Amino acid sequence: MARRRELIGYGLIAPALILSIGIVVVPGIFTVVLSFTDWSGIGPSYNFIGLQNFRDILADNVFGTALLNNIKWVVLFLTVPAIIGLLTATLLLRRRKMRTFFQVIYLMPYVLAPVVNALVWQTIIYNPNGGIFGFFGLQPPTASVRTSLYGAAIVDMWHYFGFLTVVYLGAMRQTPMDQVEAAVVDGAGSWKVFRHVYLPSIRPTLLLMGVMTVIFSFLAFDYVYLLTQGGPARSSEVMGTYAYAFAFSSFEFGKAAAVGLIMSFFGLIASCVYTWLSRRDVTE
Amino acid sequence: MKKKRLIAIVSAAVLALAGCSSGDSGSGGSGGRQTLQFWFWGAPPDHQATMKKVLIEGFNQSQDKYTLTVTFNNAVDKNIQVALSANKGPDVVYGSGPAFSAAYAVQGKLADMTPYSEKYGWESRILDPMYKSGTVNGKLYSLPNSIEDIGVFYNKKVLDQLGVKVPTTFAELTAVMDKAAAAGLHPSVTGNQGWKPVNQNYISQFLTVDAGGKTVYDALQGKIPWTDPAIVKAVEESAKFYQAGYLGGKDYQTLNFDTSMQLLSKGKSPFFIGPSLAFQFASTYFNDKAGNVADLGYIPFPTINTSLPSPYYTLGTTASLSINAASKNKDGAAEVIDYMLSDSFAKEMNKDWPGYWAVPLKNFNLDPNDYTGLSKPFVASIKNTIKGVNDGHYGFFAGTFFPPATAAEFTNIDSVWLGRESAQDFLTKVNTTFQGELEKKLVPPLPEPSS
Repeated sequence: MARRRELIGYGLIAPALILSIGIVVVPGIFTVVLSFTDWSGIGPSYNFIGLQNFRDILADNVFGTALLNNIKWVVLFLTVPAIIGLLTATLLLRRRKMRTFFQVIYLMPYVLAPVVNALVWQTIIYNPNGGIFGFFGLQPPTASVRTSLYGAAIVDMWHYFGFLTVVYLGAMRQTPMDQVEAAVVDGAGSWKVFRHVYLPSIRPTLLLMGVMTVIFSFLAFDYVYLLTQGGPARSSEVMGTYAYAFAFSSFEFGKAAAVGLIMSFFGLIASCVYTWLSRRDVTE
Repeated sequence: MKKKRLIAIVSAAVLALAGCSSGDSGSGGSGGRQTLQFWFWGAPPDHQATMKKVLIEGFNQSQDKYTLTVTFNNAVDKNIQVALSANKGPDVVYGSGPAFSAAYAVQGKLADMTPYSEKYGWESRILDPMYKSGTVNGKLYSLPNSIEDIGVFYNKKVLDQLGVKVPTTFAELTAVMDKAAAAGLHPSVTGNQGWKPVNQNYISQFLTVDAGGKTVYDALQGKIPWTDPAIVKAVEESAKFYQAGYLGGKDYQTLNFDTSMQLLSKGKSPFFIGPSLAFQFASTYFNDKAGNVADLGYIPFPTINTSLPSPYYTLGTTASLSINAASKNKDGAAEVIDYMLSDSFAKEMNKDWPGYWAVPLKNFNLDPNDYTGLSKPFVASIKNTIKGVNDGHYGFFAGTFFPPATAAEFTNIDSVWLGRESAQDFLTKVNTTFQGELEKKLVPPLPEPSS
């Protein structure tokens, strides 16, 4: 009987396992192998060139710019949308009426295709000839080497914070009401209730979202590509756009794979930190 | 009951899969015809309608063996790259030019079109430089659907308002732009928003009109390095031009060809600097309905280097046509290409779609007087370009003639324009990339300019 249950268990996880192996593990292994080759991405021919791709990338100034931009992206996304998300979630927590309506409104940019969001910003807001920036006589941030990264990040954060709001609100609503009521009875104000009751209660959610944000930040691509294409003068290049240019403009898939591998390395670090923190929480 | 339901589900799945596979090339079409696939970029609806009428209906009615289907998609370049790599994709391959096809030809992804060239007489029909550029090791792998030049579109009304004539020299051009800026207009309109390779147009133009086609030819042959002083000077000239605001002013990063043409039609600038294919964007804003067709004019970009002949053209192709090595209907694909490289096809397409169909025929037998709207100045401009090509007065558009990684390096020319890199450092990087591609024989055969 136990053997049969075990077999059923294996049978049930088999589809997910096969899918994971097929679309994650196998391509992952291929990416590792390709990063040591000069494969053009077109035909079957390639040569193993050792660490040459990594040497070329590390010697390229643009890689440094891309890496630094990814780090800036992480810092921005760990703070700005997280703070706004927490704030809006806290405000919505108190608002029983219209709460669902506001959640839908906040979530809307998240469910729209990035290309739609980018077009809305490009044509209505950032447009110097007829858009809001043009109306005020301002140059849009995407046009300057100093601000282009932030110009793309603002749009991405605008699309992302609604998702965090919904997640944080869901987590805050799981907080036991007796704890909240006890704190209020003891004379705690709104800030103290938030700081000492809600915040510890949603800590695992904050942690998970933080790690996911770090991983997503190193994979950033769509909004940068749609709004600046890494420019002007490669000032907003992130590793995603840097790899994409190797793969689809220069036909250097080997180098693109090497960049992809470096991107994954940072995601891996974030995952390890999350696992370590989770285990520490359990043991404590 | 359960068994019947299962049979119904399986049958539906089989039918669905059959439906999915019906788009594969080579499958039987209606009436015993074979289906030919051609993937094309996502042209505007009016232009798609022209293509459906002239190409699809025209070709399908011209013979009874094949049914041509065209898929329009803005991501066509990437889709074709991925499909060809997997030995899939359309029968007729739409590419970005000879450099693109050379990269795929050496990997065996494109079919040798030499036998079809002999059958249809393409070599005697197509402009020599354009035919030669599509060959790899003496075999033909691609032909351009259209040639293009990079020049200056002007709004006659704005020039009249400024009290100036159409410029004929570089000094006159910049003087008019200075006057326009002083009058609160954009010196010129153009930009790379949404498509960074637009930068290649302008660096190609400066390499052509300053360094000269022959110098660039020598660099592409590996006879001189890309750090040659003449090339460094051309890059520096392009940076000065950009920094003076002559290229879209402050808005280069936030304009594209479509919005630029719109601004030109509204009189916000005297000039739009860009490729002749931009006639297709102009037709949206300068047309018979708006009654402003006569306001738009086009001239080749004036030379900076006075030792070069004038006019002097930056030769490029809008796209290239090849046959997929994995196609089951290579004969049919060749028939489509032959149809698209005909005088009658060029005549029909140019009636409603100026800018994209300057078929590179030795005898481009189109009379501008037979056309109305923007097709008239477009046909006239192409006749001039073809004459310039026959005289050897041309340079090279990077996106067409430079190998892929070198062309991609030139896309980053804005690093020099925005002062983040010196011309010398930029070209040193270009030279390193180019030497690698030269070794891999990725440089397409090039026509040698006369000067």
